[in-house]
Amino acid sequence: MSMTSGINRTPLLGAIVGCALGVFVLQNGIGTQPTGKQYESVTETLKNGNTRTVKKLKAGVATPAFQGISSSWQRDFNQGTVETQGLSPDQLLFALAGFREMIAGILWVRADSFFDSGNYDAILPIIRLVTVLDPKQIDVYATGMWHIGYNFTDEEQRSDRRYIPSALALGKEGARNNSLTYEMFFETGWMWYHKIDDDYSNAVKWFELAQERPDMIPARRNLITNAYERDGKVDKSLDTLFKLYETAGKKAKEDAAFGNKQNRDTLENKLDTTLVRMVQRGWFAGKDGRPLTGYDVNPPFDTGFSAKVTVTEARVLRFEGTWNVLPVGTRIRAVLRDADFPNAKPAGMEWDFSNDVNLDPPRDKTFMQEQLFVRNQRFNKKVDMSKDPTMYPFTSKDYVIEFYYNPRSAPPHIQDKFSWNGEGFTDKNFLNTQVREGQRVMYTSVKISKDQLLRRGDWREKVPVIKTANYLDKDGKAYNQADQVTIDLPSLRAN
Amino acid sequence: MFKPIASIAATTVGEAIRRKVLLIILLIGVLFLVVAPGLGMLSARSETTVLRGMMLGIIQLTSAVIAIVLTVYMIPNEIERRTIYTILSKPVQRWQFLVGKYFGAVSALLMMMTLMTSVLVFTFWLQQRDASAIPDLIKAPVMYFVQMSLLAAVAIFFSTFVSPLVNFFLSGGLYLLGSLFAPFFQTLQESQGTPQAAKIFAQLVNTILPNFANYNIQNPIINPGQQIQNESSYYLQVTVYGVLYIAGLLVAGTIVFDRREV
Repeated sequence: MSMTSGINRTPLLGAIVGCALGVFVLQNGIGTQPTGKQYESVTETLKNGNTRTVKKLKAGVATPAFQGISSSWQRDFNQGTVETQGLSPDQLLFALAGFREMIAGILWVRADSFFDSGNYDAILPIIRLVTVLDPKQIDVYATGMWHIGYNFTDEEQRSDRRYIPSALALGKEGARNNSLTYEMFFETGWMWYHKIDDDYSNAVKWFELAQERPDMIPARRNLITNAYERDGKVDKSLDTLFKLYETAGKKAKEDAAFGNKQNRDTLENKLDTTLVRMVQRGWFAGKDGRPLTGYDVNPPFDTGFSAKVTVTEARVLRFEGTWNVLPVGTRIRAVLRDADFPNAKPAGMEWDFSNDVNLDPPRDKTFMQEQLFVRNQRFNKKVDMSKDPTMYPFTSKDYVIEFYYNPRSAPPHIQDKFSWNGEGFTDKNFLNTQVREGQRVMYTSVKISKDQLLRRGDWREKVPVIKTANYLDKDGKAYNQADQVTIDLPSLRAN
Repeated sequence: MFKPIASIAATTVGEAIRRKVLLIILLIGVLFLVVAPGLGMLSARSETTVLRGMMLGIIQLTSAVIAIVLTVYMIPNEIERRTIYTILSKPVQRWQFLVGKYFGAVSALLMMMTLMTSVLVFTFWLQQRDASAIPDLIKAPVMYFVQMSLLAAVAIFFSTFVSPLVNFFLSGGLYLLGSLFAPFFQTLQESQGTPQAAKIFAQLVNTILPNFANYNIQNPIINPGQQIQNESSYYLQVTVYGVLYIAGLLVAGTIVFDRREV
């Protein structure tokens, strides 16, 4: 049996066209539609005192005539932008599939077993996958950031700093995807403050962003005052301390819980100490334009830095030198890196250069950073890079050795003399006011070749020694070894 | 005009609830919903997040499978069993048959999804003892229902001209693509490295595909905090979008089915 039915198709086709038009307008809207990145989360206070967070268009972005579903969905319902670079296709597929939170949870439990067994490399892709699957998993972002930034070390527990830009990128992505809570802003700030331990303006920037979030816990709020100090913004630190102390006092009055009282007392103590230090270090006198005579920072103390670096074996260096500061607590940064290391800057790099979480750092580049601990006014440290060829590949032709000391990173008892910006600090040979704007730091660098570092070619039998002109041996004699070849480090006097 | 549609729809519902395969899928979904609270331990700090995500995921996945399995066999089975001759020999138009079948499928789907949502609410309340979160939680299954109605329309459209097995993969594939493309689309649009041609192509695909992701509104429910702007207006828009798309598919299905020799 064969059956067909004849209907007038023209009105039906018209209906299809009408439906398609309606679908098109609803989906795409009318006018230029804003993308997810053109919104920012804004916390508003309502009339009843409650707060709410909404996403609003950034300044300068035009509101469309009619907002399409697609754009509204991206704004309010999308889980978070996935950074596709560095993701494998299967990771991307997982990222887009359903049950994201559940799969992420299972994977994170799996990662825990890798932590236990010390298989750190295996954790990296899991971290990435979990953050892609569930961008709201703050724990994974925070743990992942710490893991990438801190746990990849050589045999002598030196961190692989090539990973730090990736750790920061992960922190930034975490903050973007979890902008309602302070946590990833704080964690990213902490990476700057504690791990990078140099460019404190970035720590301040991230701590300030964390501070804007109402859920930040009091003890963590206090840390920004230390970051301000290390960033040289001592007045701002003091103002913040006063505000925090006032808030803590009110809170302790409202609720006399032990934690509240302890926080108030801690802030009171910190406030007292800061005020005393500001007076003793001549901060107020300096601001008023009064002479610093009689203050701890005057006259500036000459640290008398000198150094000698000996390539004792291939990939093995011995750092020796002097530092006239007697109290224990000085750590001088020594860096050995490729001369053309990407985004390098004096005694560091532009850590924040990447927004992509790249779990495969530049494996053909070398960046070694060591802290030289000073005891009895001398330092002596052997740095053996021979056991970790993946971390120190030495593939370039030329390298740079740098020495750096920043009074902002110094412990308080040493800062009492040097002050926050190095006002009480000098070094007749290596004082530098250029490499860190507004700061007086010690900095010097010298080039060294691959042949010298690997003790090959002309340097197979000769021992390369790099030293400052003022370097004196432990017995106080000028350095002089006939069988070694000395390369002098340039100093201010030489310049 | 509507009486034959209602009769066909009622018969379809009766057939659907007697189909063992659908009942088994439903039973598995309900079982997963019941055991879901036990899996909250998968996250150290986000038990509620995982629980909500998982429960809504179970409802969505089960409903999608039911919607496809329910609809892919509807027309081909009638043709294969020759029951369609009995129906079409009566004063029933082909479009009435198609629309009746569709509404029957959607009604059966509504019943099954209502059951799953009830289990979700009860289990969630039992686990969390927090009734305040339930109204928010229910929004997702409501939107999933519109999503599944759209999926059913896609499947019934294909069922007018392809075999059930092909239709199963075709509808399933389209559902995956329509669900996954929206987040991918944003990534493409915002990526600096994407060529302009790829962006235009993505825009085209995003417009033509039935955008199932529009109904994936679970993210703010799973991770609360952000205030949704013009929430009711959004739900209304996506519902109208769904209705228009469904209407377009049913009309297109009618045209195809009308030309088909049975």
